[in-house]
Amino acid sequence: MAKKTVKKPAKKTIKAAVKKTAKKTAKKAVKTSAKKPAKQAARPVRATKRRGPRSASERVAGLLVLLPWLIKRKRVRLSDVAKQFRMSEEELIADLQMAAVCGVPPYTPDALIDVFIDEGWVVAEIPTFFSRPLQLTSAEMYAVVAMVRAAQKLPGAPSRSVLATAVAKLARLAPEATDAPMHIDLPDEPHLEELRSAESESAELRIEYFNPARSEVAQRTIRVVRIFSEHGHWYVMADDDKSGAIRNFRVDRIESLVRTGKIYNQADVASRLDDDAERGWFGDNLELVSLRVRGDAAWIAEAYPTVSQSSNKDGSIDVSLRITSEHWLARLLLRGGRNVEVLSPEKYVSLAARTARAIRAKYN
Amino acid sequence: MTKKPKAASVKSKSKINAAERMLNLLALLSVRSQPLTLKQIRAELLNQYSEDGDAARAQFERDKSDLRNLGIPIDMITLGGAQAGETAYRVNRNNYELTDMGFTDDELQALQIAAATVRLGAQEGEQALWKLGAERVNPKLGPRASIGFADPHLGTILHAIGKRAPLTFLYKGETRSVDTYGMLARKGFWYLVGFDHLRKAQRVFRVDRIESSVSVGKAKSYDMPKNVDIVKSVPTERQMMAAGDYEHSTAQVRVHASLARIGARDFGAAAAVREEADGAVVFEIPCSNGYAFRLWLFAMMDKAEVVGPPDVRELVVRWLDEIAERA
Repeated sequence: MAKKTVKKPAKKTIKAAVKKTAKKTAKKAVKTSAKKPAKQAARPVRATKRRGPRSASERVAGLLVLLPWLIKRKRVRLSDVAKQFRMSEEELIADLQMAAVCGVPPYTPDALIDVFIDEGWVVAEIPTFFSRPLQLTSAEMYAVVAMVRAAQKLPGAPSRSVLATAVAKLARLAPEATDAPMHIDLPDEPHLEELRSAESESAELRIEYFNPARSEVAQRTIRVVRIFSEHGHWYVMADDDKSGAIRNFRVDRIESLVRTGKIYNQADVASRLDDDAERGWFGDNLELVSLRVRGDAAWIAEAYPTVSQSSNKDGSIDVSLRITSEHWLARLLLRGGRNVEVLSPEKYVSLAARTARAIRAKYN
Repeated sequence: MTKKPKAASVKSKSKINAAERMLNLLALLSVRSQPLTLKQIRAELLNQYSEDGDAARAQFERDKSDLRNLGIPIDMITLGGAQAGETAYRVNRNNYELTDMGFTDDELQALQIAAATVRLGAQEGEQALWKLGAERVNPKLGPRASIGFADPHLGTILHAIGKRAPLTFLYKGETRSVDTYGMLARKGFWYLVGFDHLRKAQRVFRVDRIESSVSVGKAKSYDMPKNVDIVKSVPTERQMMAAGDYEHSTAQVRVHASLARIGARDFGAAAAVREEADGAVVFEIPCSNGYAFRLWLFAMMDKAEVVGPPDVRELVVRWLDEIAERA
C-alpha cells in the first residue's frame, strides 16, 4: 500500500500527458498505417517486421537502451523519441510510465527511475538507475565495425580520420572486433562519383541507359533523388523525363552520362518521391507472376524482390514477383532454363518455349 | 488513498507486470553491496513475486535468465555461516554497463552518418548506435550502401573468428568443420573463408546456405595464416565463368551493336575480337563453367549469339531446344 501512495505524484504527471497525447497519436497512427502497405511493396528491402505484443524482456531491453540515451539528452520531444526508437507513441508512453514507478524499496520518489513526460517532452534529468548504457554485444560491435568499413568506401563518406579515431576508441573495448578479418566489397562503379556530385549540385543529367525490359539502350534525362546499393548493385533513384515518374536505374547499366547544364530544385523532386516511388520499384504497370523454381534456378528467389515465397516438399520454391515487361520475364525464364516454370498467369506458361524458339531460329 | 486511478496500479497490486518486476529486481541487485537470497529478494520486492514458493522460484528463474539474455550476468554466491548452503544473487554493474567511450561530438556524428549511409537491415546497428549515445539520422544527400547483416549466424561466426575457434555446421548436406580465416560481404551475401577439415583444403561457404545452427569449438584451436587474401579467395562472377570443367575454355559470342559496350564492360576491351559491318562486336568469353556462361549469354536474349567453336554453339542449341520442347 505504501508503495502506491508515494508513486502517485510521478504517475499523475504521466497520466495527464498520456491523455493529452493519446488523441493525437491515435489519429496519426491510423493515417500512417493506411499508407504502409504500399510503401513496403515498393521497396525491395525486407520490411521491418511488425511487432506483436512485446514480451516483458523486450520491454526491459528497450528501456535499458532508451533510459541512458534520454539521460544523456535530458529533454527530448516525445514524438522524436518514438520516431527514433521506431515505437508508437502509445508504446513509448506505456514503457516510460512503467519505468517511472520502478526502482528500489521503499519506492519513494528519490528511489525511482527519474523519467516523466511534460507537455509532450520526455524529461530524464537525474540519473538514479539505469543511467549508463549497456555494453555492446559482440554482434553489435561487429555491426558497428562493418558499418564503418563500408562507410569508409563510399564516395563523400564522413571524414575517414574521424571515423578512424572513433574505431580506435572502440578497439580499446574489443580489439578482436576492430581488427576482424571482415571485408566489405562494394561494387566498384565508375559513375558513382559523378552521380554523387550531380546530386549534391542538383545538376540534371542525360544518360544512355540499357533497359533490360526491352534489351535496348535509350537516352533519358534524369534528376537524381537518391543513390543507393541493394543486392550488390548500385541504383540511382531519379525523376525521369521519359516516363514522367520517379524510377530506379541500375548504375552499371548507365553507359554514359553528361550534365545538361540545367539545375533543378531538389525539394520539388523529392516531394514527388512519396507518391511516385511507392508506385513501384521499376515503374508503373507491374504485373504479378507466380513461378516455380528449383535447383540451379533457385537464385531467382534470392535475386529479385519477391511478393511471396513458399517452399514445396520436393525442394522447389514457389515465388510471386512483379515484372516490368513480358520481355523481362522472358529473359528471366530463359536464364532460369528448365528449372523454372510459370504457374500463372496462363498467358505466360508457354513464354519460355516461345522465346527459346525465337532465339533458336538464329542458329539455323 | 481516496481516489484510485484505475487500471495499471490496481492491477499491478495483485499481479505485477513482469517487465516492472524485472526492472525492480535489476535495480535492487545492482544497488545492494551484499548478495541477496531469493527469500530476501521476495521480502524486498513485496508482493511482486508469487506468494507460492515454487511459483515464485519459477518466476525468479525466468527473470534471471531473461536478464542474462540481455547481457546482464547475475552472480550466484553460495553462502556460509548461518545461511550455509543458501544461494545468494548479486549484479555487478561493471559487468553490464558500458564504460565511458569518450567519443567527441565529431566522432559521434561521423558514426551517425556512417550508420545512416550503410544499411545493415538488422537491429544490431541501431542498438549499438543508441548505446554509444548516438542517434539515427537521415541525411538528404549522398550514396547509401546496403550490406545485409541480418543473418543470425553472423554474430556467432565473427565472434568465433576473433577467438580462433573452429566452427561446425551442416552445408550441402554434409557436416563441415572449418577453421575460419575471414569473412567477405559481396553482392548482398556473406562468405566465410577457411580451412575445411572435411575436404582438407581451403574453401568458401556462403553464410546464408548454412543448413544448421553453427556450433563453436575451443578457442585458440588454430593459427591465422598470414598470407590468405580473403577478398581474392572468393571468386567473382567473372572468375566463376572461367572456373569449370567444360572442354572449351572460351567461346566467341557476337553481341549486337546496342549492347556491345556491355560485353566490353564485363570482360574488358581486350576481349573484343572484331567488330562487324553492322556494329556488332565478337567477344572471346570464358565458358568453362557452362552454367555461369549460360546466365551471362541469355541475359542478352536474341542480341547475343555464339558463333564458335561449333561444340559450344551446339550446346547452346541444345539448351534452347530443351526449353522450347517443354511447352
